[in-house]
Amino acid sequence: MPRPPAYGVPFGEIVREAFANLRSRGQRSGLALLGIVIGTAAIIAMLNIGHVAQLETMKQFERLGVDIIQVLGSPNGAPPGFEPALIDNLPRTIPGIVEATPYSTEQVTARANGKEASVFVMAAPAVMTARLALAPQSGRLLTDIDDCAQVGVIGAKAGAELSPRVDDLLGRQIALSGYLFTVVGVLRPTPNDAVSVARYDDAFLIPLACARRVLPSNLPTAVLVRTAADADIDAIDSELQRTLANKTTLVQTTNAKSIITTMNRQKGLLAAVLAAIGGISLLVGGIGVMNVMLMNIMERRREIGLRAAIGATPRDIQTMFLVEAAMLAAAGGIAGAILGLLISALVVKLFHWDFAVAYHLMPIGPLGSGVIGVLFGLYPAVSASRIDPIEALRAE
Amino acid sequence: MLKLAGIEKAYKTPGGTVPVLHGLSLEIEAGGLCAIVGPSGSGKSTLLNIIGLLDRPDSGQVFLDGETADFANAAEAARLRNRLIGFVFQSFQLLPRLTAWENVALPLLYRNVPRAERRPRALAMLERVGLADRAEHRPNQLSGGQSQRVALARALVSDPRLLLADEPTGNLDSVTAGEVLTLLRSLSQDFGVTIVIVTHDRDLATACGRRIEIRDGRIIADTRGH
Repeated sequence: MPRPPAYGVPFGEIVREAFANLRSRGQRSGLALLGIVIGTAAIIAMLNIGHVAQLETMKQFERLGVDIIQVLGSPNGAPPGFEPALIDNLPRTIPGIVEATPYSTEQVTARANGKEASVFVMAAPAVMTARLALAPQSGRLLTDIDDCAQVGVIGAKAGAELSPRVDDLLGRQIALSGYLFTVVGVLRPTPNDAVSVARYDDAFLIPLACARRVLPSNLPTAVLVRTAADADIDAIDSELQRTLANKTTLVQTTNAKSIITTMNRQKGLLAAVLAAIGGISLLVGGIGVMNVMLMNIMERRREIGLRAAIGATPRDIQTMFLVEAAMLAAAGGIAGAILGLLISALVVKLFHWDFAVAYHLMPIGPLGSGVIGVLFGLYPAVSASRIDPIEALRAE
Repeated sequence: MLKLAGIEKAYKTPGGTVPVLHGLSLEIEAGGLCAIVGPSGSGKSTLLNIIGLLDRPDSGQVFLDGETADFANAAEAARLRNRLIGFVFQSFQLLPRLTAWENVALPLLYRNVPRAERRPRALAMLERVGLADRAEHRPNQLSGGQSQRVALARALVSDPRLLLADEPTGNLDSVTAGEVLTLLRSLSQDFGVTIVIVTHDRDLATACGRRIEIRDGRIIADTRGH
């Protein structure tokens, strides 16, 4: 009963054989993979660090969002200051602006309990705390009723410098430039934002109305602008410069968009360096794979001859070695991906970021190096398929 | 079964062309053992390689089981080998990494026989050569005689029409060689396979039903009977 002539080795069998062949060669194959491992590790580390950095960047905009423009006035021969009425009118005069909050900041030394602390005084209308999404850990925030009162809300860290138990400051007085301010609230510890209006933990918030007592001017020196979601940031930016500028004040604006652009540029540089390392290592790794396969084929000449004798076509031989090369490289790719994750975890730790894994990018490790394996395995595989079986069977 | 017509073969060497086979024609009927004997360099190995479709004649034709061998197409030649021919070598040529049964099953891999079917067929063949208990052993755990019997099982597992053996007893002591000969005979009978043996071994040649003697690329004697 002759079997119907069906030829060709099923792919599953090829993979199974390749796996067995590679396993029997063990650590020698492993050493040659170093290049592939390093290359993949560099690329995976780069991708994952990028992923984590992206998440971190987004986190900095989480509280305030990306539709924020910060306007800072800097001195131009005289103390800077913006006209309050102009600021109040911004939502009406410049299309795309939703709200505009004036404020002033100044570094001042605060004294209480015989202790000193350098605080970041931020004078702003009561609505500012809501717009910055600040919350007290004890006491209250400023309200409109505080108007010109000498009261303030202190940041968690500044407070801790003045009193061993921060909450004890409530109702106590703090001396600022010769004036006594009563602490009515303590801010909850709050991370800084990308568009950093203030270092909240070092801050001392006071009403804007009578800021003159501790600040150089009653006029606000900065504005926090919120824009509509679909607004043209660049247009608003230049419009702000034009509207707010005056003889004594140079206008400087910062927006989320330009910060993100800068951050991305820095990230791009890091990515380019890692990609270059990865690319060169992969090239070296590919040559390593080629080397291993050529050696492999030299040592298995008799096997090649035998397989040809019992019916392997040149293509079968070629496929066998190509799959081995691809699997060898892919194994290196998996090891490299793991190493890359470890590296990225270290870097992330160094930056004090929260680690995350970009799972969707992980297949690039084994797949990419598998492709390298095929490319660099092609020449050895083709030369294996061209070996003369008679000579191969005679080989020692 | 096997017919060669006007086979010419020469090898090119730096010193010029060395003729090996001179218009050799030959017909071997189905069944039985046929020995090809001759001194070294007589061309008998080249002849065997051409019969086995491993080498390509400069001219002439090979007919195998009614089919004309197409030497120009390597893949086609490989498929024909897989379907019609089993090989046995002096040095056994077992793959050291594979167990006995896996070595036996190897030709079936190139015939697209599923793994589930390969194992029982290989085991049955090992049993036929008396090595059922060595199925899971690797070649380095087998004696020479056992290795050659595994090789025989491998050569026959794919039901070939023709078995080509190149000095099958060359690496064996005389007792073991005798055992292999006995096995070859009974396999030839059981499977109806034609066995062509290239050998220096007088005893082996004498035991074959037909002896073809080659010298300088020509048949100088063709005797039948024991």
